[in-house]
Amino acid sequence: MAKKVGIVGAGITPFKSRWHEKTYYELAQMATREAIRDADVSIKDVDAVFYGIYNDIFERTAIPEHPLQGILGLQNKPGIRISCGGATGAYTMSAAHAYLAGERYKIALVLGVEKATDCFDFLSMSATPEVIKTIAWSGDSFFEQKIGWTASDSYAEVVLGYMDKYPGTLKSEVTARISSLLSEQVRNNPYAQRQFDQVTPEEVINSRYIVYPFKEMEICVYSEGAAALILAEEETAKAISRNSGKPIVWITGVGESNEHSFAGKNHKNMSHIVSDYLGSHRAYEMAGIKDPVKAIDIVELHDAFVHQLEISLAEFGLVPYEKVDSLIEDGIMLPGGRLLVNPCGGLLYCGHAVGASNIMSAWSARKELIERNLKTALVHGTGSTVAQYTACLILEHE
Amino acid sequence: MAEKKQKVIAEEYIPEVKSRVITIDNKDYLLQNDAMFTFYERSMGEFSPFFLAIRDEKKILGCKCSKCGIVRVPPFVTHCPDCDFTPTEPVEVEQIGKMNTTPPITYFATSMFLDKAPFGRGRVILNGADTALSVMLYTTTGILVPGLIKKGTEVKVIFKDERVGQISDIYCIPTSELTPEQIAKKGLQESELNWEAPKEPEFPPASNEDIAIFKQSLKEMRAVAGEMSRSKRARRAIEGWKRDIAVKTKGGEFAMYINDGNFRIGEEKLDSPDFIMACEDPRTLLDGLRYKGAITDAVIMKKLWISKNMEFNTVFKLDRLARFLVMEKKEQATR
Ligand SMILES: [Zn+2]
Repeated sequence: MAKKVGIVGAGITPFKSRWHEKTYYELAQMATREAIRDADVSIKDVDAVFYGIYNDIFERTAIPEHPLQGILGLQNKPGIRISCGGATGAYTMSAAHAYLAGERYKIALVLGVEKATDCFDFLSMSATPEVIKTIAWSGDSFFEQKIGWTASDSYAEVVLGYMDKYPGTLKSEVTARISSLLSEQVRNNPYAQRQFDQVTPEEVINSRYIVYPFKEMEICVYSEGAAALILAEEETAKAISRNSGKPIVWITGVGESNEHSFAGKNHKNMSHIVSDYLGSHRAYEMAGIKDPVKAIDIVELHDAFVHQLEISLAEFGLVPYEKVDSLIEDGIMLPGGRLLVNPCGGLLYCGHAVGASNIMSAWSARKELIERNLKTALVHGTGSTVAQYTACLILEHE
Repeated sequence: MAEKKQKVIAEEYIPEVKSRVITIDNKDYLLQNDAMFTFYERSMGEFSPFFLAIRDEKKILGCKCSKCGIVRVPPFVTHCPDCDFTPTEPVEVEQIGKMNTTPPITYFATSMFLDKAPFGRGRVILNGADTALSVMLYTTTGILVPGLIKKGTEVKVIFKDERVGQISDIYCIPTSELTPEQIAKKGLQESELNWEAPKEPEFPPASNEDIAIFKQSLKEMRAVAGEMSRSKRARRAIEGWKRDIAVKTKGGEFAMYINDGNFRIGEEKLDSPDFIMACEDPRTLLDGLRYKGAITDAVIMKKLWISKNMEFNTVFKLDRLARFLVMEKKEQATR
């Protein structure tokens, strides 16, 4: 029987469009210091570290985690880096969970960090074209990189595929309203990149197309920052909690799935995010959740694009496919609705520091469960071409 | 659309060895120009027949599983993973097919594709294939707009005249833009197509009302431009950028100057601008600058014409300029 695993501490750095003042070494240590302080443990008590860092080119070095081992005070202890595209953070938490549940270690540090916007395009004198180029090195190098593949256009393919199958869904008034709602929710997140960037639905609709059908304010923003969690197996978690006085948030379910990257018959179904369906339902099964609509109070999901946020919530079984716009039209995710979605402002407004993003989502879900005294949250990460990768975790507050 | 660049990395992308210091909260921080580069002599391995067939024979190859019969294009496996790795064999497929789903259109491209935007990229199931080939999509009628190519739209593979054995040697256009002879022809080349040349729009003579609108718009644009040049945040949107733009409208012509943070509207006609913008109603541009509708979208929806596609880049910067000014005002109001 696997051991129970809980979150006993968490900390994040501010997410910023650019950290001129810090390198990723210091960002990693900042988040770790916060998490250690929150759990009220010493770094010397930590048995192993799990690094979530997405893209070597962002950090401008291969094996970017190697200097962090000593910087974090974890020399001579085990350390593993996970890199799974946008789902890096969620997969990192999943890996740490498995090691603790398997009784390999008692206490683990989960550390996600990314420094994305040092990339700079000297031709257009701006960072963004170079940042998305750097991500575009993640596309299929034989068949897609040379024809302009980007993360955005590959997710747009899936969104348009969904709209082909379910015409009349993902209406622009609804996606605009969701973006506006997230911009209101971010007000309460002092670590967010866009804490004071509240936008109206009209402003979202008026924002320019980046990749059809995505408008500028329907896409997450690239960030720099770090996020850290302290995880512990059951008895150790209880001891830490007694000492710190902070409740344990248990990880009761974990599920992952990676789809085919090629589309067509018996391959990737471009009208769905099957990985989101499988990842979430595998996590529900492990957590013993029969009816997610009844069980889930909070969702902290990876909103790379607002349209994908809607599709993901449908794949999670939280809203019907053909009525996905009921998230807004029936008030499901509006204030007072049955589901609290991305109270941190999501990756759209808190920011997307890739390796750290899903860990930031878990940080927020834990905080909200405790502060609002709610029971169950779903945390999600999506990544790679055509939303190929998913990892989901169920967090429960006793 | 032939590849012009001779070097693996074009000269203009490469920055000088240089550094600068920026000051935040009275402390100095150093920024250094840098690059991380690796060159390859890349093995195309088992994909060699596929790329050589495109380059030398203008053929598209797939692979067929000898057990389940599925035809995969591109031929990305030598053995079928769905049939316990039964061997596959090469087959040729047709050069016409249907879109698997509605394709996205990229307006804001990566730094390597700025000169190719806007472009569509989607997946086509070529006749005779079961899986989808990822392709770039163009139209011969100008800028690709949403709705022109959808799920099920029939498209044809076009071969570039100069081919190097890469996936970018081919792209697709809708068969509805081709003659029956072109549709029937195998290995149809880019130079055989009838590309509509970009034509500067002509406006009817201006009425007194048009001239009044022009004058009023110009006045308002100058006011906004003044605010932008005074806004620290807005200036960042056009940092290091320089363009002289001639703007033609029904009611009259004027000039826009972008110069490293400064944005200015002039009443003069420019003889040798970096590029030309033409829009019948000057309020289209005014709305964009006042953050009431993106200038990018005006180009996409053909309300505003630009003489060089590459200058989409400048249009993005004008949209950011408008957004940054509004953001600064909002932040000042919140804090
Ligand atoms: Zn087979």
